[in-house]
Amino acid sequence: MEHDHLLYDGVTGLPTLQAAVESMRRVIVERGELLILYFNFSRYSKIEEIYGWEKFDAVLATTAAAMRAYLHDSPLRSSRVMVRYTNDDDFVFFHIPEPGFEAANDQQITEIISGLQKHVSERIEAAHGEDIASLFDIYAGRSHVMVNPKFRLERQIYRGVRQAVLASQSVEARETVKKLEDLRESIRTRGVYVDYHPIVVAETGAIFGYEALARGVMRSMRSPEVMFEVAARGDLLWELSRICRSRAIEGMQHRFDQGELLFLNVDPGDFADPTFSPEQLDAPDPKRVVIEITERTAIKDYPKFRNRLQAFRDAGYRFAVDDAGSGYAGLGSIANLEPDFIKLDISLITCIDSNFIKQNLVETMIRFANDQGAQVIAEGVERAEELAILKELGVHLVQGFFLHPAGNSTHTPEHLPLPGPMSSGQAAPKGPDMRAMRSA
Amino acid sequence: MTNNSLPHVLVVDDNHDNANIIRDYLKARGYPITVAYGGEEALEIFERERPSIVLLDVMMPGRDGWEVCREMKQNPDVAHPVRVIMVTALHDWTNKRQAIQTGADDFVEKPFELAKLVETVDRNARMLSPGR
Repeated sequence: MEHDHLLYDGVTGLPTLQAAVESMRRVIVERGELLILYFNFSRYSKIEEIYGWEKFDAVLATTAAAMRAYLHDSPLRSSRVMVRYTNDDDFVFFHIPEPGFEAANDQQITEIISGLQKHVSERIEAAHGEDIASLFDIYAGRSHVMVNPKFRLERQIYRGVRQAVLASQSVEARETVKKLEDLRESIRTRGVYVDYHPIVVAETGAIFGYEALARGVMRSMRSPEVMFEVAARGDLLWELSRICRSRAIEGMQHRFDQGELLFLNVDPGDFADPTFSPEQLDAPDPKRVVIEITERTAIKDYPKFRNRLQAFRDAGYRFAVDDAGSGYAGLGSIANLEPDFIKLDISLITCIDSNFIKQNLVETMIRFANDQGAQVIAEGVERAEELAILKELGVHLVQGFFLHPAGNSTHTPEHLPLPGPMSSGQAAPKGPDMRAMRSA
Repeated sequence: MTNNSLPHVLVVDDNHDNANIIRDYLKARGYPITVAYGGEEALEIFERERPSIVLLDVMMPGRDGWEVCREMKQNPDVAHPVRVIMVTALHDWTNKRQAIQTGADDFVEKPFELAKLVETVDRNARMLSPGR
């Protein structure tokens, strides 16, 4: 059939909402009621933003498979159940009780949602690592449709889906308020610790420096993405960033070997913070600090921004353009910042060994960097094949899980507890987190 | 890789002369070849014959090469992975970024040299062999 692909989602293999309604019409009418569960994966779009669509598709496929497996084994299996994928990060689940069975009650639904959250999270962590799993958060909403023959069935179902969506949004709103409270507490107590992710010389494997990734000590603030997202909502970005920067520099002084560099993420918006200055940053040796600026955030006032950069440059700090090549913009915007380091966007590195167009782009970037006197860093290296190609192409520095997997950080300063107001009961956790996301 | 195990190639170009030249050249090197002269026909053949490599011209009337590539890559078939090579000049960063986004694996500049074209098909064929 010509439009088969419109009935099934290619990534997850799940049918679309329209196709599901059509196929279940008779069963729903016979039973006369339908329970709709709506699941929103609140931060999934971030996965695509950070890692690119290939990784995102893979995570969606894992999610759908894990959901199907869990729901199949759940107490609902005696009823007719279908899972539908509707958009990019949400799923709809229809529960049509079979004759003789009651529809699931509130308590059962709550248990199922909580079990589902745990199961899917574990599957994602096993398949894609802790960082991606840390972005995983389900907000679920439910609605109960009692079929009324006076109304068109499709409309009743779509209304039911909308009600379930609204219910999930109010759950999310409540959670957001709670997270904002957690963030305020984290800022008040300086409850932030830093993971240092090694950046190594591609050819020799020698440690060149570390990228600082700030994480909240409180469990709800563990993911840098979540922490900064909450800070943006609460207008607390500058406050949080100041703590993250100073934590990163404190740690550098205690743990880095001579000559190792600190790569510090700074959002272009932080340059508007009047207290963010070379004096305030106060690194003991500014030459060993590289300020990473993401290419993803739009810079509004370019001349002013460049002036602010210059002040840091004059003090000895160096610069890296992060996520270079993430968008369609070519090399011009990178050249404008005159970086010392160019960090390639992760989506260019994922599966680079099998994609010759990516290899061509990375080669272009390396040639450009060599002309500019900059060094190229490839981050997100997860496999030996990727590393081999990157070396062949002439990448200078590399970073990623493959180079320093979890449990192999004895010689790195990662995960060591920081001195400061962090209580002993809140020691920084260990974890296999080697991915660059959002940090200080 | 022996000739017997060379992957099936689908050549898609609305210009019959171009398509036939590529067909003859690759056939002479042992590749099993099917030709399609438009996007719709290419998708039909793709569904039916499941080729492992698709050489896809971008500028075609109706469904262009980008659209065809997206559709071919949209339903990943683990048992029959497909390598899509776009036949076009990808001059700048934007073009290449777009090509990656559609799921394309490689490209051959147009106008192409036949030797370069074969080299590109060969390297994609190698990516399909187990234990490469």
